[in-house]
Amino acid sequence: MASGKEQEEEGVYGGLHVDKHVEYVKSLDKRHNEIEYWMTEHLRVSGIYWGLVALHLVGRQDTLNREQVIAYVKSCQNSDGGFGGHVGHDSHLLYTMSAVQILVMYDALDQIDGAKVVSFVSGLQDDAGEVSGDQWGEKDTRFAFISVAILSFFGATDRLNTDGIVDYVCRSMNYDGGFGSQPGGESHAAQVYTCVAALAILGRLDGVDRERLSSWLAERQVACGGLNGRPQKLEDVCYSWWVLSSLQVLGRVHWIDRARLCDFILSAQDTDAGGIADRPGDIADVYHTCFGLCGLSLAGFDKFPLEEIDPVYCMPAKIIERAGLRSWVDKIPKSWNDK
Amino acid sequence: MSDSDSDCFNVPLKEQEEWEDVTPIPQEEEANTVCPIAYTDEYSDMMGYLRAVMAKCEVSQRALDLTGRVIKVNPGHYTVWMYRKKLVEELGTDSESELDWVTEISEIHHKNYQLWHYREALISRLLDPKTVEDLTQDQLVGHPAIRRELLFASNAIDGDSKNFHAWSYRQWIVRTYGIWDQELVFIETMINEDVRNNSAWNQRYFVLIGDGRGKSASEPDPPLEDSLADREIDYAIEKIILAPNNECPWSYITGLLLRHAPKKLYTTLLPKIQELAAAGSDYAACIASTAMYWSTLVDIYECQAKALPDQASALLDIARDACDLLASDHDPMRNRYWDFRKSQLTMSK
Repeated sequence: MASGKEQEEEGVYGGLHVDKHVEYVKSLDKRHNEIEYWMTEHLRVSGIYWGLVALHLVGRQDTLNREQVIAYVKSCQNSDGGFGGHVGHDSHLLYTMSAVQILVMYDALDQIDGAKVVSFVSGLQDDAGEVSGDQWGEKDTRFAFISVAILSFFGATDRLNTDGIVDYVCRSMNYDGGFGSQPGGESHAAQVYTCVAALAILGRLDGVDRERLSSWLAERQVACGGLNGRPQKLEDVCYSWWVLSSLQVLGRVHWIDRARLCDFILSAQDTDAGGIADRPGDIADVYHTCFGLCGLSLAGFDKFPLEEIDPVYCMPAKIIERAGLRSWVDKIPKSWNDK
Repeated sequence: MSDSDSDCFNVPLKEQEEWEDVTPIPQEEEANTVCPIAYTDEYSDMMGYLRAVMAKCEVSQRALDLTGRVIKVNPGHYTVWMYRKKLVEELGTDSESELDWVTEISEIHHKNYQLWHYREALISRLLDPKTVEDLTQDQLVGHPAIRRELLFASNAIDGDSKNFHAWSYRQWIVRTYGIWDQELVFIETMINEDVRNNSAWNQRYFVLIGDGRGKSASEPDPPLEDSLADREIDYAIEKIILAPNNECPWSYITGLLLRHAPKKLYTTLLPKIQELAAAGSDYAACIASTAMYWSTLVDIYECQAKALPDQASALLDIARDACDLLASDHDPMRNRYWDFRKSQLTMSK
């Protein structure tokens, strides 16, 4: 006599292969015989950050060796105070951010020279208010967000010309309500996340065209339930994070069909080796594993108790709370307090 | 990575006489590596020597060649690009040949971030805008350096029509050297090739309005001349007809007019799209069944109601009906959005 429902295998919850994903993240450091391991050396710190967030989301943050990871991250700090993506790599905001995020998650921020980090980051803003990723000068609104976020961990956002940042971000807003990588740049969901997050931390969400942007974000959902990053582009699991986090800040996550999005993310899992890919059938990687799980958490996937993720910092909400940085919630414009 | 097969047959640096004087600095984990595949061996060999020359800040042709090999195989390694930049400057390497090298890399690695910034730095050094500021736009477009850069970007776009680095790079060239007219022609070619290319539509806005550099975000949006607004409306409609479900032209024209010529939304755009959707029109069936048509109507009526308060009640009624249709028939996946939108269409706004 058939029961109504198949017995789900151990470690699988409503289709989410939790145990496999944990094993996948654990295995990443061991893949020395894969060329991918060497090719991604320059962003190793970010790889660890994505893996650690994924583990936190499923409550298995103790999987990695805390002391080893902290020691490794510390070894990536350079004399200018910034962090490179790996030992011996030049300092860059992207990897400084990942390094600081990892240390905050391990409650070990006091183990590094914070003053030097602040000095490195604040030195990357020019007179026009725009922010470079490193000493070589590539500018992007992502870096505006990152500089604000990093300094907020040290209570030092006043070391930046924050009005200049707000202006730079707002000038990057386009006719569709979205944000680009710089003024004139095409609206892209990842840039939307960074711009909205920057304005959220600085309490300047009044600069956002809430209706137009929310509508643009809601339109990222395509027929199969997945989200794309720009009009007429392919869906990709990572947009489950970039789009949903922004919608969460805007208070409009319910404008997308969350159940269909969850189905899409689950279908992109590698159910043999673990990990999540950009879309069904492709090879998994730690970046999409992290953002797929973030997306499930934001979309309210309820077959497993996923941790709440802070949509501005992309870190566990509990940890942001502990760091005293959830105050961005209180700075949301009062007029946004609708359903 | 795909083009690296030819490198597999190179003699490893550790076996080359030229590199005898250098002790490679190994990756820490290499001591624990079990059965590395040959490809990994070759990469490790290159990286060991790269680390060694970077550590001693060596400035030499062999170091430059080595950065080229590493970047070809792994262009994401951003530190190597910076080392190369230093080497090129200190060795006085010919800019033209360096640009050719960047072109070679771009043909293998279309989506790499670093090469665009690197190229911009090279061009800025090679062609100071002040030295060509007296040239006309035609002369500028004919200038070999500028023509080459436009071609470089358009080749990248040929390979990936929505490569936003390439489109941003074009914005940089257009803005830096003041060659706006040719860009409009390029955009029209791209939209003709693919009316769904949102990057091209975004570029069109850029050419028409600029990117606001040198201004503050708080300055008001500049108004658009009537004749230009009319031209853009006709252009958008022409493209809407080709693919009514394509959000790009709808989003473009609504966004453009809302910001720079809001009256035109209801005086000119509205009657034109209603004509398309009217019974008996060739396009009626396809236009009237798209979410974009109804969603645009909501935007237009909302704008019109604000401008003409004595007609607002009737206009908002129509807009609310459109929201109902969208929620039930034309865009049900976003029904919660349309319910909300409907609730906002009230007189008290």
